[in-house]
Amino acid sequence: MIFLAVFLISLSALTFEVLLTRVFSICQWNHLSFMVISIALFGFAASGTFLSLLETRKKHWSKQLAGTGPVKIFAICYTLTAISSFLILNQIPLDYFRLPLEPIQTLYLLAAYITLSLPFFFSGLIIALAYAFWPDRTALIYLAGMGGSALGAVIPVPLLPFLGEGKLIILSALIPLLILPCGKRKLNRKFSPNPKIILLKRICPWLISFVIVWISTVFIFSSDFRVEIKSSPYKALSQILQFPNTEITETHNSLWGRIDKVKSDYIRFAPGLSMKFPGNIPVQSAIFKDGDAPFVLYNFSDSADPTFSRFTLPYAGYLLTPQPEHVLIIQHGGGTGIACALSANAQKITIVESNLQVAKITQKHYKWPVINQNPRVFLAQSAKRFQVIHIDNWGSSIPGAAALNQEYLLTIDAFKEYISHLTEDGILMISRKLLLPPSDALRLWATAYESLISIGLKKPENHIRIIRNWDIYTLIVSFHPFQDDSVIKNFARSNNFDWVYYPDATPDQVNRFNVFDQPYHYQEISRLLNAYQTGNSKTFFNNYLLDVNPQTDGRPFPSRFLKWSRIKDIYKSTGSRLYSLVMSGEIVIAVVFVEAILISTILILLPLFAFAKGSEKIPASHILYFFAVGVGFMFVEIFFIKFYTLLFGDPVISFTIVLASLLIFSAAGGYFSHFIGRRGLRYALIALIVTLIFVFYRIDILIYSILGFTVILRYFIAIGILFPIGFLLGVPFPLGMRYFLKNPVERSYAWAINGCASVLTSIISAQLALCFGISTLAGFATGAYIMVFCSTGKLVKT
Amino acid sequence: MKRLLLILWLFVFISPVLCGEIQHESSGYKKARETMVSKQIRGRGISDSNVLAAMTAVPRHLFAPPELSSQAYADHPLPIGEGQTISQPYIVALMTESLELAGDERVLEIGTGSGYQAAILAKICKNVYSIEIKPKLYEKAHNTLKKLEIKNVETRRGDGYFGWPEAAPFDCIMITAAIDHIPPPLLKQLKDGGKLILPLGNPFSFQNLVRVTKRGNDYIVKQITGVLFVPMTGYGLEKGKPSNGYDR
Repeated sequence: MIFLAVFLISLSALTFEVLLTRVFSICQWNHLSFMVISIALFGFAASGTFLSLLETRKKHWSKQLAGTGPVKIFAICYTLTAISSFLILNQIPLDYFRLPLEPIQTLYLLAAYITLSLPFFFSGLIIALAYAFWPDRTALIYLAGMGGSALGAVIPVPLLPFLGEGKLIILSALIPLLILPCGKRKLNRKFSPNPKIILLKRICPWLISFVIVWISTVFIFSSDFRVEIKSSPYKALSQILQFPNTEITETHNSLWGRIDKVKSDYIRFAPGLSMKFPGNIPVQSAIFKDGDAPFVLYNFSDSADPTFSRFTLPYAGYLLTPQPEHVLIIQHGGGTGIACALSANAQKITIVESNLQVAKITQKHYKWPVINQNPRVFLAQSAKRFQVIHIDNWGSSIPGAAALNQEYLLTIDAFKEYISHLTEDGILMISRKLLLPPSDALRLWATAYESLISIGLKKPENHIRIIRNWDIYTLIVSFHPFQDDSVIKNFARSNNFDWVYYPDATPDQVNRFNVFDQPYHYQEISRLLNAYQTGNSKTFFNNYLLDVNPQTDGRPFPSRFLKWSRIKDIYKSTGSRLYSLVMSGEIVIAVVFVEAILISTILILLPLFAFAKGSEKIPASHILYFFAVGVGFMFVEIFFIKFYTLLFGDPVISFTIVLASLLIFSAAGGYFSHFIGRRGLRYALIALIVTLIFVFYRIDILIYSILGFTVILRYFIAIGILFPIGFLLGVPFPLGMRYFLKNPVERSYAWAINGCASVLTSIISAQLALCFGISTLAGFATGAYIMVFCSTGKLVKT
Repeated sequence: MKRLLLILWLFVFISPVLCGEIQHESSGYKKARETMVSKQIRGRGISDSNVLAAMTAVPRHLFAPPELSSQAYADHPLPIGEGQTISQPYIVALMTESLELAGDERVLEIGTGSGYQAAILAKICKNVYSIEIKPKLYEKAHNTLKKLEIKNVETRRGDGYFGWPEAAPFDCIMITAAIDHIPPPLLKQLKDGGKLILPLGNPFSFQNLVRVTKRGNDYIVKQITGVLFVPMTGYGLEKGKPSNGYDR
């Protein structure tokens, strides 16, 4: 029964965790889903600490808890708290922006945090009990836990489209109740001598479970508003839904995000539209992903055709390539790209969209084929050349909220790929928001510059142009040097646009119609060009207020600009307002990390002080061993999730496949560990460290070589790489539990340490990837397992 | 007993926060408003006496949600529900001053929001026309302005994108809603030489202003960052050097 309990509780808890990250992405912003990871792992860690502490208060606890009865009660508690915590989270009026203003908001946040950690506490309790009382079956418990978690990671993929997040959370929370009919409960007559009490104890769990299932069924089969996930009122979707006669006409739920199609007379998206435009822009509908990042679909008619786009900034590129033969539009939000291509009378348009639902809706709307593929994979597989490549990518509605987003469309490697797919007279175009202090435009200019250098061009500055209006800029890159700028000059003049950059520009030409106190963007780009030409680009990037280094596939965070060393200056430059920083994803990580350190310290130290009263102290080498195992495992997991995002084209697919694969292979490794002795551990660790070193140095070459392969082959090879690593990762924890720990208290404590290590690593790894690149995570993982190896020296001998 | 005490303690702690009520004018608010004007507005360089007088006169706390009225005069924007905000006092003052109002103008405001900006404008210019599309916000702002007996503001619930053609042309237009382009119908309703102003950026984050001046067939856009943006870029930023703006 215990294996089934561990399997089902692990399955349910992981599904709950995955779905909560979706809920946070919809309710708030993606980076807040980091809170979920920390909440979940804390619940687990706290359960270990709780059991360790129990020893100091109740001497007979092990006798009372070492049966199937308590496991069943904890399973009921899990179900109850999982459902109620979700309902509470969905109902409390928690407003992220009111936190510093209203004391009650802190209480709401605390309530959300505590209630959400409870189900993870109970699930952790069941697993910790299993490890504590069945040490000889550690390998099987590990197999059940990992297997359940692996399945839990995959379950939302097929079910989410049919049930949605809310209903699936409730349904998955019921899963652990399946253990109720299993196993015979031995009642301890010493504690409950009365037959009526015995009967009551037997009936009670069934009665409670029946009530839970009945209420849950009502929630699942009715369209109750309490299970509906609402977007933050500050998101674009919530804003548009407040307009009259505005409604959601289609909704598609999936692990890839909630897609809502909205019909309204009030959607009017035309970024970069000139003030000289005299007419009407077409009626539009819009697609929102997780309530934000609108992508608009124009309803062209005789009175409002695509020609409005001839007055927008991105159209400048089409003036250089009139009536292009073949246009490639890489869609990632926005929507004006299609209007521009149509308006320019493009002979052939290829649209690539990575989200399946958005691709389907776009294809249905415009009645053109839309390729549903990761754009980088599409380019790696395609030998075609295009006259225009237009990247339609505007970013999130709130600056800083996209800082953690891993995107491969705006890296040096991506630019090289784009340029290699251009015809001789082809151009690449990207339009984005013009930010102050200069950041995004500066970074993309540098990205274009360095990509042109890397393909062997001598004077890249002659291949790049940027024009702007008051809040948008368009970057144009050509394979051949621009010969004549008069076309863009006239276009800019007639539409009241300004140059940001061209080689012979003078300050008065860059600040004519859209006047800044100083032409900041022009000045910084000119300074950067000078730095490149004099070999001082590194100094420029080091000294600049923000991190504007061009991004590579190894560090693909194009919306991230924060420099921790200059945080004081950034705070000052944006008006000394805390709010400016709070919305940055990185600041959220930092706050969560500090909080995680504090709680972890308490969870780890508390039992140590308690033990000091009488019982034997836990050796430091044990603590180090289980801590380093937790750190190492999590570093490997997050490294592969991030690294495979390029290969799978989507962080969600990467998350699901990597997590499920690593957990299954670790489960196999854990089971295998049942058959090896103490000394086998060191050989397994050596094999793991060698494999990780190989991964650290060589995996990127392998990934690029398979990027253009077919989907099946790509997935097969990627999962194949995970097999040896996952298998070896599964060995140290169960072996340590079996051989190095003597009693249930130590095993509970080891569970707590492992949980805390996982929490801290999951948070810090995001920051490390942002600052130093993804591959450093493999380096840290290797370091952690070397520590594990070192700490085994004494343990193996004893 | 212990439990009872705990419940009582929680009740005492939470109830004042939960049970906020609309605060009326008191000497405390008046003082807070004067401090706001002197420190946040005048102290940052706003010198237009009409703007300063209007900011001193209009009770900002009546436009804030009751539970946040104590924060009404603080140096930050205020969330007012439905994903809307009242701008930071300094931004309101800067936007108003940037219109360079003499007193006889007709001003169109797109996005009434809480109604605070319209109330400030009403103290300075001849007529204010304010449009709000969101029904809940419209009702609330309309009632607040009515309660304060501000006579020269006309409010309407409708689509600001098309302006207020019956009352056009306007000397000034102020857009307080988030937009990605300036609606062509609004530009048509602007007098030659007229000014249109709008804030850029998220209200919670860094904001600057854009002022459009119509000059014949051309539109000149001026970015007004006020003191909120310290241009600490380039050499001014280099470690060890004073960051006193551009020193090129």
